[in-house]
Amino acid sequence: MRIILNKPIVANTRQLPAFAEADPSAGERPCALAQCLPGSRATVVDIACSADEGCRLRALGLYEGSRVCVIDSRHCMVLDVRGTRLALGQALTSGITVQPDRLRG
Amino acid sequence: MSSTTTVQRPRTPVGEQLAGGRSGTIDDANAVLRVAIIGNPNTGKTTLFNALTGLRQRVGNFAGVTVERVEGHFRTPDGRRVAVLDLPGSYSLSAGSPDEKIALDVLLGHDVDRWSPQVVLVVVDAAHLDRNLFLTSQVMELGIPVVVALNQFDVAQEDGLVIDVPELIHELGVSVVPTVAKRGEGIETVKRALEIAAGLPAPARRFTLPGVAEGILAPLVGRLVGSGMLPSAARMEALRLLAATRAEPHVLGQTELLREVGEAVTALQGAGFAPHRLESEVRYAWISGVTERTVTSTSVTGSDRSHRIDTVILHRVWGPLIFLALMALVFQSVFTWAQPFIEAIEWGVARGGELVAGWMPAGDLRGLVVDGVFAGVGSVLVFLPQIAILFAFIGLLEQSGYMARAAFLMDRVMRKVGLHGKSFIPMLSGYACAVPGIMATRTIEDPKDRLATIMVVPLMSCSARLPVYTLLIGSFVPPVVYFAGVGLQGLTMLGMYLLGTLAALGAAAIFKRTLLKGPVRPMILELPGYRWPSLHSLAVSVAQRCRLFLRRAGTVILSLSIVLWAMATYPRTAVDATLPEEAQQEQQLANSLLGRVGHAIEPAVRPLGYDWKIGVSIAASFAAREVFVSTMGTIYGVGDRGDEAVALGQRLRAERNPTTGAPTYTTLVAVGLMVFYVFALMCISTVAVTVREAGGGRVGWQWAGLQFGYMLALAYGAAWIVYRGGLALGLGG
Ligand SMILES: Nc1nc2c(ncn2[C@@H]2O[C@H](COP(=O)(O)OP(=O)(O)O)[C@@H](O)[C@H]2O)c(=O)[nH]1
Repeated sequence: MRIILNKPIVANTRQLPAFAEADPSAGERPCALAQCLPGSRATVVDIACSADEGCRLRALGLYEGSRVCVIDSRHCMVLDVRGTRLALGQALTSGITVQPDRLRG
Repeated sequence: MSSTTTVQRPRTPVGEQLAGGRSGTIDDANAVLRVAIIGNPNTGKTTLFNALTGLRQRVGNFAGVTVERVEGHFRTPDGRRVAVLDLPGSYSLSAGSPDEKIALDVLLGHDVDRWSPQVVLVVVDAAHLDRNLFLTSQVMELGIPVVVALNQFDVAQEDGLVIDVPELIHELGVSVVPTVAKRGEGIETVKRALEIAAGLPAPARRFTLPGVAEGILAPLVGRLVGSGMLPSAARMEALRLLAATRAEPHVLGQTELLREVGEAVTALQGAGFAPHRLESEVRYAWISGVTERTVTSTSVTGSDRSHRIDTVILHRVWGPLIFLALMALVFQSVFTWAQPFIEAIEWGVARGGELVAGWMPAGDLRGLVVDGVFAGVGSVLVFLPQIAILFAFIGLLEQSGYMARAAFLMDRVMRKVGLHGKSFIPMLSGYACAVPGIMATRTIEDPKDRLATIMVVPLMSCSARLPVYTLLIGSFVPPVVYFAGVGLQGLTMLGMYLLGTLAALGAAAIFKRTLLKGPVRPMILELPGYRWPSLHSLAVSVAQRCRLFLRRAGTVILSLSIVLWAMATYPRTAVDATLPEEAQQEQQLANSLLGRVGHAIEPAVRPLGYDWKIGVSIAASFAAREVFVSTMGTIYGVGDRGDEAVALGQRLRAERNPTTGAPTYTTLVAVGLMVFYVFALMCISTVAVTVREAGGGRVGWQWAGLQFGYMLALAYGAAWIVYRGGLALGLGG
């Protein structure tokens, strides 16, 4: 068995300053995920929480660069991350910086 | 053996060769094949495990920790015996939770039991391939042959996902078997794939790090290889260590290694990388390439159904109402549905005892068999209906996906006392019986939260306290009715339940702030898609729970019942044969070891207003609270069944203090006694289960001892306050 389909992927692993990354034309400024309203979509820019929780979030598909959709927001948040629904406590959502999508319409 | 196959991969600075050190060979074709099964939670891992092994499972704990270890067996179509170890559900090998740490330890061969798998079966949720591939990609680097079960294939199809399986096999370089575990589809193929994989080389990393990063990590990898790790596992471990902050046992003490990690982190930062997220970035970049090439979505709706159900289940108003209704149903059914079965078991055991008694000559041996063994077996078996019903419900709630929602809804309330939303179900179960309640704490991941929950569950008034409450309330609380059926007796009963519940919440808050203090973990909860439960898997897990209870707690309960029987029987005394039989029994009991204990503890219980007879009953009921009523029945020379309970109440009211002539039992004494039983942990089965669930061995006994002690102190203190306070207020009469 020869496996040659392995395409090396060089990820964009350079860390860019989170705030400079925001496209000014997007019209929305990066903010804490906790501030996003239900129904809004955003891209994760930075995850600032304990290493443990950071690991768990990343393993759950919430990593820098992943897209999230806020489904519900009360004492905690319900998010849709690529079809997985996650409930995150306030302590976490206020430590996650996102770049909200420009609101359409 | 692996050198026969070359997997062509880009050269790395480490120049690693493919590792296949642990894969099996044809030589040991007859030996048992060790397979570890791992997967994200909610992928159907348990269902697949149950489908593979059926009831051929053994449940235990991983040495020294409270994490459950389930090992099963099956035979491949060719007749080869396979031992499967079900590793705890994990989202990654990042060792963030105790469960994940165990999984990593087993896979790296650090496990205390030295059970190193020859093949790893990764269960993957086909409908959420990208997230699941994160763990898969980590496992693939461990140097162990891998088989991927692409489970919930039906759900993926329903969601309109088309997965190119041959392409996925190419991408991953391991066998990929589509399965529908719930219906048993693909199970035989999995078995065959496992057997074949044992003879194949281990897969390896499928992506490359940027050259700079690879170079920076090389010394760290070298050190890990030097410490005996396979090269590919070392590369995974190096990446992983960058993100881990807490020193782990097998890293701890290796100051050189820690220094190396620190240096790598600094160097990476200097080169413009974010070390703690390097791993997730490279893995997800690779994963998005893989899914792009293998998964096509033909619909945009996806898992819409679950979303629609959630709008009701998690609704701000309906959500809690539905939750309450469901919990009421669970509570009620454990309470009432079990009753006929419990009665049937009691009847059966009693008949059995009578039958045997008929064959045996009267004497101590007959006493031992009938009152010791049969009564003991009976007191074990009566728990089974409640355990079975509770675990059937828990299984249903868990498999359907509702459990995560319940934890979500209860999280806010439970967090106030420092617990987790998941502590709610065990505490609720405690109303029926602390034994299944404590067993149900297994769903709580955080070990401290789990222990805190275990410690307080027995404070919830269980059904075994009911006979005590009923006897005392019925005898001493006047049947005043206030309005529409609500009377003083009912309110007293409710008060006892509330008292226990509040005490449990308070005790939890104290434990979480003292002995079990830990960082308050913010909620991270996956809300899995709603699924129809698998009846086979449900039946297997209920049977597994029942067996576990019988084997572990059952033996302890049985032996203690025999000890108690002996204490109530010996030493033999010459009783006055002219007295009625029950009076003879009383005389015998008074002189027995147990009776002497009653007399010995009389000074201790006197401040609570009790005499030696209550002392004996309390001493006897250390094994099980229900025994209090039957012991009182024995002491006062009446039975404890049916009308005789009424007779017992009359006897208690008529009882006078031999010297003062005042009634022994006043309402105040009765209330104090009830309060005592609200708090006291008078249940040998609970102690046995706590020992086991708190980690077993010495640690388990320590926690169980603490639990028993603090509850006894609470009981004594509260009963004292009630009695002394009542006297001071002039409520003595
Ligand atoms: N439709 C479907 N449901 C499945 C399949 N495998 C498991 N399930 C269901 O998914 C739910 C979660 O399964 P479980 O084995 O408890 O997941 P675990 O957390 O990974 O152990 C249960 O309701 C199962 O009946 C499958 O292949 N197809």
